Amino acid sequence: MSLADPQFNAQGQLHHFIDLDGLDRALLTQILDTAEGFAGVGDRTVKKVPLLRGKTVANLFFENSTRTRTAFELAAKRLSADILNVDLVTSSTSKGESLLDTLRVLEALQCDMFIVRHGDSGAAHFIARHVSPSINVINGGDGQHSHPTQGILDMFTIRRHKGDFSNLCVVIIGDIRHSRVARSDISALVKLGTGEVRVVGPRTLIPADIESLGVTVFPSLDKAMHGADVIMGLRLQKERMLSATVPSSGEFYRTYGLTTERLALAKPDALVMHPGPTNRGVEIAGSVADGSQSVILEQVTNGIAVRMAVMSIIMGNAENLRRAEASA
Amino acid sequence: MNRSNQRIIIDNVRMLGENRISRLVITDSRITSLQVDAGIEQAERSDGDASCRLIDAQGSIAVPGMLDLYARLREPGFTRKGSIAGESHAALRAGFTRVLCAPDTNPAIDNVPTVELVRHLAESGGGAQVLPIAALTTGLKGEQLSELATLQGAGCPMAGQADHPLESSNVLYSAMEYAASFNLPLILTARDAQIGAAGCAHTGAVATRLGLPAIPVAAETVALARMLELCRETGCRLHVSRLSSARAVQMIDAAKQQALPVTCDVGLHHLFFTDEHLAGYDSLFHSAVPFRSRSDRDALRSGLSSGIIDAICSDHAPHDKDAGLAPFPATEPGLAAYRWAMPLILQLPELLQLSLAQVFDRLTQAPTQILDGLAHTGLSTDHPADFFLLSPDGRIEQDDAAQGAAHGASGNNHPLNLHTAESLGLGELCGKVTHVFTRGRVHLFG
Repeated sequence: MSLADPQFNAQGQLHHFIDLDGLDRALLTQILDTAEGFAGVGDRTVKKVPLLRGKTVANLFFENSTRTRTAFELAAKRLSADILNVDLVTSSTSKGESLLDTLRVLEALQCDMFIVRHGDSGAAHFIARHVSPSINVINGGDGQHSHPTQGILDMFTIRRHKGDFSNLCVVIIGDIRHSRVARSDISALVKLGTGEVRVVGPRTLIPADIESLGVTVFPSLDKAMHGADVIMGLRLQKERMLSATVPSSGEFYRTYGLTTERLALAKPDALVMHPGPTNRGVEIAGSVADGSQSVILEQVTNGIAVRMAVMSIIMGNAENLRRAEASA
Repeated sequence: MNRSNQRIIIDNVRMLGENRISRLVITDSRITSLQVDAGIEQAERSDGDASCRLIDAQGSIAVPGMLDLYARLREPGFTRKGSIAGESHAALRAGFTRVLCAPDTNPAIDNVPTVELVRHLAESGGGAQVLPIAALTTGLKGEQLSELATLQGAGCPMAGQADHPLESSNVLYSAMEYAASFNLPLILTARDAQIGAAGCAHTGAVATRLGLPAIPVAAETVALARMLELCRETGCRLHVSRLSSARAVQMIDAAKQQALPVTCDVGLHHLFFTDEHLAGYDSLFHSAVPFRSRSDRDALRSGLSSGIIDAICSDHAPHDKDAGLAPFPATEPGLAAYRWAMPLILQLPELLQLSLAQVFDRLTQAPTQILDGLAHTGLSTDHPADFFLLSPDGRIEQDDAAQGAAHGASGNNHPLNLHTAESLGLGELCGKVTHVFTRGRVHLFG
């Protein structure tokens, strides 16, 4: 038995946005198409649309984050929502309050949407299951499990450059084991019918039975680079080098660093991606991060449109549900 | 509950392992007569004696009282989760007349006053007999040995570390040498102190997909290899509690073939559940000894069938509601086993290709042999009665939980309920203990 997917409401529509595993290809494509519509908003002189006017979005970050929190904040503002940033890293939970109690307090502030980041895998599932039905939850990253808006923005970026996924060879390098970004990217790539997804890294950074997710494991980066259309780097956390996982940043760079020489092994028009923040000289050479094939900053920009799309779809579904319940 | 210092006649009962209908006569808490297909008239049964009681056990089976080799009773220290009185009654309702209680209380069972407290609470509670496991090291910290000989003298039949790791090989070596001096068996769970220490799920596809910190099989086998080698070296009697992997079963098999003084058990739920049940982050499947792959579960089943695994324990772990209200890795592990134990046990003959009597052997004779080195005599004539009547078609009703709660058993943390059996791939859940005869008392659970 497994608990039902909490993401969908009684009408079978997306009510929360927790992970990409439960979403089918049509829904992923719908989100990407919607994001495409929002992509132009940032180029206008008035960078706002009124879709979430009067709604309150709360950023609940139980873990430090600058990029994701800022991108969500900007996306909410461009949708005309009011945004509340709650710093929970140093607050209630450190005083011993349970996650559920914290949640109840925030519910009482009458917000419409929670953006949640938490260090435990499954935290967003837990919150979605226990939150009041009037609140929609978007996962801003839970433990090592999922970072679904990052997954969508990566797909959005790839699609804009490459179009169809079916002939693509995508290489994901580095710390797959501890990466929620890698899991969301893999889930989205496989669902969108990507030709081949390769993961590369030392065995200490590749989780068990990763093949069951639909990827091929390559121990050697040089071999994995051949024929690659997209190369995705991942951040290697400093604490990995203090544990027995990786001997040093130097050795990691020598074996799995994305250098100009290695990039030359891929297709000439291969994209270089990274969810940031990058460690130059650890996962990626500065020249590659800044090079002509890099779309790293484009990913950041696309993150706004993608988050606007997710928030507006979820809020639209919530409005539909409310209307349906009111007329019933 | 009644004193059974009267004559009790149990009529039309089927003895475990037999097809014939029998009549059991209990006088002054001892089984005085066992008649097969006897045709005694009603008048003759009661002899007009007002103190004689007649139980018509039509459709029921008489089973020796089960011995649970591992349960947490939560007292002292964690009474929000359960109490000795409440949990020992829950054990009795499940058919366990004796329970080995884990030492991970607060304070730990590393001193005589705590042993006496546990025994006193158990006696006054009037449920199953409680046998405290001594904490092997003080505070279960893995550093200094507890006063093992003293604790043994106070009534602890075994010593162990509960779910606390014992990091130092040297301490374990010493502990086994010391325990061997007093012929005190150790009950230990194989879990390395470092490998997968932060884990909460079996290393495999499910943990990978869910991003859960994982516990590799090596966490069990590395610790088991160390234990077995020290068992060989010291000659200390070792009971390995709650195996989880196929590889561990092979290692125990090899150790037994080399005649090491080792026995082992498996938790009841590990014969049913796998890591696949964790999909969806259902914290009711969070277990300290992780549910591993299907092939591991199948190896545990066949190990039990073949006798490599000696016994089944409940691994009972009652919790308060708050313990499970958190993201999966932050929830407290363990399942409250007793309420659903009998319906699950009755699924085992089919799953294990064993007879019902052979399944109950693993819950009665085998654990008794491990603990006492003797056979279970609870259903033999001229011995104190220690058995229960099982209605195999009896259904667990919703209000059984309420009755359990009336005795103070709080934990309802178990994935089974009247609606989930089918989705868990289990058959119809039947099996109810109606009467328990133990230590001079008759307990009725109607």
